Amino acid sequence: MRTAIAVLETSTLTEAGWRRGRNLLATAAVVGWLLALAGFGADPQRFAFSYLVAFLFVTSLGLGALFFVMVQHLSGAVWSVSLRRIAENVMGALPAAFVLFIPVGFNLHRLYEWTHHEAVAADSVLQGKQAYLNVPFFLVRGVAILLLWALLSRLLRTWSWAQDQNPRLAPPTRLSAAGLVLTVLTVTVAAFDWIMSLEPHWYSTVFGVYFYSGSAVGFLAAVILILLGLRRAGYLVREVHVEHYHDLGKWLFGLIVFWAYIAFSQYMLIWYANLPEETAWFRTRTQGAWLPVALLLAFGHFLAPFFALISRASKRNLRQLGLVAAWVLAIHYLDLYWQVMPALDRSGPRWHWLDGATLLAAASTVGLLFWRQLRGRALLPVGDPRLVRSLEFHNV
Amino acid sequence: MSQSTERIGGIYGVAAEFEDAEELLAAVRALRERGYRKLDVLSPFPVHGLAEALGIRRSPLGWAALVAGVTGASAAFLLQWWTGAVSYPLVVGGKPFFAVEPSVPVAFELAVLLASFAAVLGMLALNGLPRFHHPVFAHPRYPAVTDDRFVLVVENDGERFDAVQASEALRATGGEHIQVLEAE
Repeated sequence: MRTAIAVLETSTLTEAGWRRGRNLLATAAVVGWLLALAGFGADPQRFAFSYLVAFLFVTSLGLGALFFVMVQHLSGAVWSVSLRRIAENVMGALPAAFVLFIPVGFNLHRLYEWTHHEAVAADSVLQGKQAYLNVPFFLVRGVAILLLWALLSRLLRTWSWAQDQNPRLAPPTRLSAAGLVLTVLTVTVAAFDWIMSLEPHWYSTVFGVYFYSGSAVGFLAAVILILLGLRRAGYLVREVHVEHYHDLGKWLFGLIVFWAYIAFSQYMLIWYANLPEETAWFRTRTQGAWLPVALLLAFGHFLAPFFALISRASKRNLRQLGLVAAWVLAIHYLDLYWQVMPALDRSGPRWHWLDGATLLAAASTVGLLFWRQLRGRALLPVGDPRLVRSLEFHNV
Repeated sequence: MSQSTERIGGIYGVAAEFEDAEELLAAVRALRERGYRKLDVLSPFPVHGLAEALGIRRSPLGWAALVAGVTGASAAFLLQWWTGAVSYPLVVGGKPFFAVEPSVPVAFELAVLLASFAAVLGMLALNGLPRFHHPVFAHPRYPAVTDDRFVLVVENDGERFDAVQASEALRATGGEHIQVLEAE
């Protein structure tokens, strides 16, 4: 009981602290969007591609959060209860993604070759795909998928907020089970549409899983950084302790391995079959100055974090865990960049200030939505009957 | 003193039964404070804080598995490179004699295989298993540790071990059914 009371005292942001955070995020959003708008005026095509990467990046974090929260409900996990609210708040990126999709929808012609009538008319492969790859159907799919994800994230959050008042509320396991199935199916559609169709001749059936595994990696890295940030500000210091970070580290480690497994499976099968229509995607992405980026992904998205997180001590060292998480989050962005950008820059990465500006705009918008949910509300699910057990949780 | 010296080498240790985990933890701490370092506990379930109280260091098993895994992966690359590109070069399906891509699955499998062998066999070796008998089986309350009781063993750690003193120390911390265990 004593623990429960101590928890309540430090579990809500002070109004002044909240305002400071909001002002910072709002300033970043205004600056980011103004820069992005200026960039759109200067180079609309560059804006479209930079923005698509930024949109995919923030959406993937929300998607990873949705996956994580549903898995916690389905497994009945106790350890994660004290940090579940933060994960739920990261799901707020999904309703934001619904709005952030608008600029993508208006720039389809700059992004996707299959929207060009003259290109389709001269290409029998694209004609064959026209029943699926056409603008109205693409938009309907995008809107429906983002609506579904936003709805799922909102329902799970509504349940969690209601639980603060009513600890007897049964966990949303049915919603999570149905939600997980629907999410996995729709993630494939989203990854095919938004990323894969940038190179409309190319196809890889595992591409949806590839995007989903990267999303989960990105989310784990992000949530570790958010929790460490709150910890530095004096919040969730005793509530999310080294045992929780240790388990987050295990999750991050496992997902990094899973990402590598999927990414390599996709690459090796295509390498081995060596069919021109399949290898084209990797040829572009391993040629010229893109090769160092591809190698950096193999090294930085798998080997380096794998060995950096393999020992127990490294997962329990918050400084090291934070550094690895920051590195992995950055490399997750690079992973998406490497998938999208070669469709525009064939010969190699052409870093542009719009990459940063659009990322700032999208990330600060998502950040504002995340932040809004923290106002005057507990940072952890105070009504959850398993909370005390989560606080006392210990790795054997 | 004199009673125990005649039996030195013949004694495995002294064991006592405890009724609940709190009592057991307190006894372990008290005994360690009195200088007893070689303690062991038989418990029906994991007790939080017991490993720390017993002063058990983390097992080196993880490192053994890592070394074995890296060895497995390296051996697999070496094998595929040597057989494919050096010893018996043969063009198969127009592929290079040796390439990293198709070698990875074999390297992965061999890494997993050797790491698992190291983990399982290393675990058995570190635990001194398999063995058919253990001195603690002689304790009359030994079967109860599979149900709801704990047995704490003060093991014979060499020349300075005194079974009578150990028995008294166990009694002072609340142990019951104190019994000297004969070595095998």
